[in-house]
Amino acid sequence: MIDDETLMAFVDGELDDIAGARVERAIAEDPALRARLEQQRKLRATLAAFYGPTAEEAMPERFRAMLETNIVDFPSAEARRGRPMWQNLAALAATLLIGLALGRNLLMPAAGPIGIADGTMVAQGPLAAALDTQLASAQPADAATRIGTSFAAADGRLCRTFDSAAMSGIACRDADRWQLMMTSAGSRGPRTDYRQAGSVNPLVAEAAQELMAGEPLDAVAERRARDSGWRQR
Amino acid sequence: MQAFERELLTLLPRLRRFARALSRDAADADDLVQVALERALKARDQWAPGTRLDSWMMRIVRNCWIDEMRSRTRRARTFLPEEEGAAIGSQAHREVEIRAELHDVEKAMNSLSPEQREVIALVLVEGLAYKEAADLLDIPIGTLTSRLTRGRQALAQMLEAA
Repeated sequence: MIDDETLMAFVDGELDDIAGARVERAIAEDPALRARLEQQRKLRATLAAFYGPTAEEAMPERFRAMLETNIVDFPSAEARRGRPMWQNLAALAATLLIGLALGRNLLMPAAGPIGIADGTMVAQGPLAAALDTQLASAQPADAATRIGTSFAAADGRLCRTFDSAAMSGIACRDADRWQLMMTSAGSRGPRTDYRQAGSVNPLVAEAAQELMAGEPLDAVAERRARDSGWRQR
Repeated sequence: MQAFERELLTLLPRLRRFARALSRDAADADDLVQVALERALKARDQWAPGTRLDSWMMRIVRNCWIDEMRSRTRRARTFLPEEEGAAIGSQAHREVEIRAELHDVEKAMNSLSPEQREVIALVLVEGLAYKEAADLLDIPIGTLTSRLTRGRQALAQMLEAA
């Protein structure tokens, strides 16, 4: 049975040879599937025919002029170049102080969402609880910590991305705790119509892609993983 | 013109096409490209030479469009009662009404959610690979393919009916 998603991936040239051959065989045997394929090809062609000419239209002169004269001012670059060295050093020192203060707070036992156990950084408190129990598919809109994606890492551990006001990151499940694989600034701002509830910090999304083996867990697999205590697969 | 500007110039046709698919309006699209170019020229030192300028630029176009949509929504909320009369609904709805003569493809694109529209624009109009489009939008591949599937089903349905 070829579902729509597979058929579309075939039309888009996204299937590997084996999967592609399987679709081709199915198409040869199934006129209804062939009709669906034609519909998808037609859609691609319709869009190409409609938007294609845009790229050939005469270019407004203002674009070329902008690029040629480059009359956009560069406040950011100018400001950086013009700033004396001591200011940069002062800024650096301030950042270090903030980092130290933040670190002390975060590392205080049982105070923040991060603890240290056996030399690794682990989740604790409400963050650990959210990672343990909260399902991405069924979390309250106002949850303090939002779970993004759950997935199996290449080393077999189950991992989850999370996001809260203070911090976002990825945690992977060891025997009895969540090791924090990476953390980044929290990205939970006010929700807009456009921004999806589940959208994560790009750094986190990128790191998750790196760690991930295969596809993220769907809602059913996520629930199953939780109910079996996030044991390795 | 330096290499950076020259490369931007060669990208312009594609950027306009992408902008057209996102904004669904020729004038909006060119304004969008202009804003994106300004932003790119200001932020040129954030582009890492050797990485793909087209993806970097398309991401800027897309972000500029999101900003534009947000400010339109704000404007609509603020000014709607005096300017438009009370009965008018969403911005998208109003746009459709103003431009009575729309091509079927534009009508169909208008019916999509912004998330569906941008994946359709990247993959079906610009021909990006799934991985490239997912990276550009910072979403997992699975999210991309499901938006793509739903968007296409909606488009196909609209265009069949047209």
